[in-house]
Amino acid sequence: MKKKSAYILTCLALVFFIMLTYGCNEKSGHHSVAETIKAASTAHVPSQKLEASIATPEDIVLAKMEYQGGYFWVNKRKSKISRFQCSNCHKDKKVQIRDANQVAHGEISLNHGEGNRQLSCDTCHKMDERDYLVSEEGKKIDFDHSYQLCGICHFRQKKDWIGGAHGKRVTYWAGKRVIKSCTECHSPHSPRFSKRWPKTYSRPLE
Amino acid sequence: MSKQENGHKEIDQFVERILSKKSNRRKFLKNTVQAAAVGGAITMPGSAEAGLMGENSLLKWKEFFKKNYRLMSQEEKDSTVSRLEQIAKERYGVDVQMSNKGPEEHVLYGYAFNISRCEGFMDCVSACVKENNLDRKSHTQYIRIFELEHGQMSVESGNGKFFHEVPEEGHFYMGVQCFHCENAPCIKACPTKATWIEKDGIVVVDYDWCIGCRYCLAACPYWGRRFNWEDPYIPKDEITTKQHYLGNRIRPKGKMEKCTFCIQRSREGKLTACADACPTGSRVFGNLLDPESEIRFVLKNKKVFRMKEELHTDPKYWYFID
Repeated sequence: MKKKSAYILTCLALVFFIMLTYGCNEKSGHHSVAETIKAASTAHVPSQKLEASIATPEDIVLAKMEYQGGYFWVNKRKSKISRFQCSNCHKDKKVQIRDANQVAHGEISLNHGEGNRQLSCDTCHKMDERDYLVSEEGKKIDFDHSYQLCGICHFRQKKDWIGGAHGKRVTYWAGKRVIKSCTECHSPHSPRFSKRWPKTYSRPLE
Repeated sequence: MSKQENGHKEIDQFVERILSKKSNRRKFLKNTVQAAAVGGAITMPGSAEAGLMGENSLLKWKEFFKKNYRLMSQEEKDSTVSRLEQIAKERYGVDVQMSNKGPEEHVLYGYAFNISRCEGFMDCVSACVKENNLDRKSHTQYIRIFELEHGQMSVESGNGKFFHEVPEEGHFYMGVQCFHCENAPCIKACPTKATWIEKDGIVVVDYDWCIGCRYCLAACPYWGRRFNWEDPYIPKDEITTKQHYLGNRIRPKGKMEKCTFCIQRSREGKLTACADACPTGSRVFGNLLDPESEIRFVLKNKKVFRMKEELHTDPKYWYFID
């Protein structure tokens, strides 16, 4: 009887010992992501550390907004509008060109807004201010900063875009924060992505 | 003259034979034992074998006897990388620039995937295949995109092989790849310590130390790992020549491979190829330790979840909704 209880006791002690060492290992070996982040945010983390190794992007402009306490840049737009400035043609007189529909803005089909809230040209462009976008309340907005105009209606998306949950950065996660402006992904005249075939396909895993 | 050169040739052929792709470690040992019995022409590396072998065989010989990457000094890393560059030149006829850049301090990579934005265009998958020199013959892909009906939550019920115009009405899309778990089961499963987690949070594989047992593939609950069944085939003009030892260098047959958060790009400050290619901005990549980063904004302001959180694998890959 005595022998048996001693045997059980030894077994129990052994199990306890194994559990103890296992528990210790768990504690010392592994830090969760949350713990690592917490530990780091108490120390000063130099942000944008890899900046030196990165080519400074060209054709960018400082955004007229701040994010999480810092500045950011967007790609310029005006340099990509082929016939900018608009006032080269649109002066005080009416523009008279043969085949204007082909050479000017005939390719634009407006499909912005749903149902009875369809936008028209003069929602964003005004007859007397060709070189700028103009908001409904009459504020002049530079083409390079068109996000200011988009953000009037799409304010939720704008908030996400400023923070980084909507839209995307240009090439680099480090260094200067350069992000794509709204119109680089969305055509302002037809902003919804159209249906298309995927670029590739997958085979079932083995 | 001829006697010594003949000796060179013989030894070259011998080395070529035992290190050829049909060989493996077991056969190699057998051959070495045979060689030792014959006369011990081959000495172990580190001694004066340079006089006995031609340049190419010597390269392969040294490659075969190198250490686990984690035990290498910086010089050893540099020399293995330059050897691999030469071997790649010989084998694939391309000039490769291979890096062995280590992790930056104060960087921990994290990833977020927007399931309400992704439309299933799969530009990410094709960019990944190209960037990471994946085998075109077996159609290997690191990323899977699943098409799920609204209301579904489990990837198992999703369609991973869709091929039709996207986005499909009433469906959403969910990308799955290596999640770079902080508590990764694959690492624990590896019997040769050929896979580990780097300081910046990337789970990597030393392809030359991997024996291809595929325990890690079985251990991963996210189908994150892939096995090289064949010698990879990549059209010569499509080989990405900017490579990393732990990343997109062309993997030999019989090795495990997986997403490395494009280590050759991310350690240079670039976005991963998938995040860079995404036309919808569904993919957010950045430094978790930088409170100003996009990924931190997502974690702080969005509804996020991780796949199979209950397994306590602690992935650094979140899903979020707008």
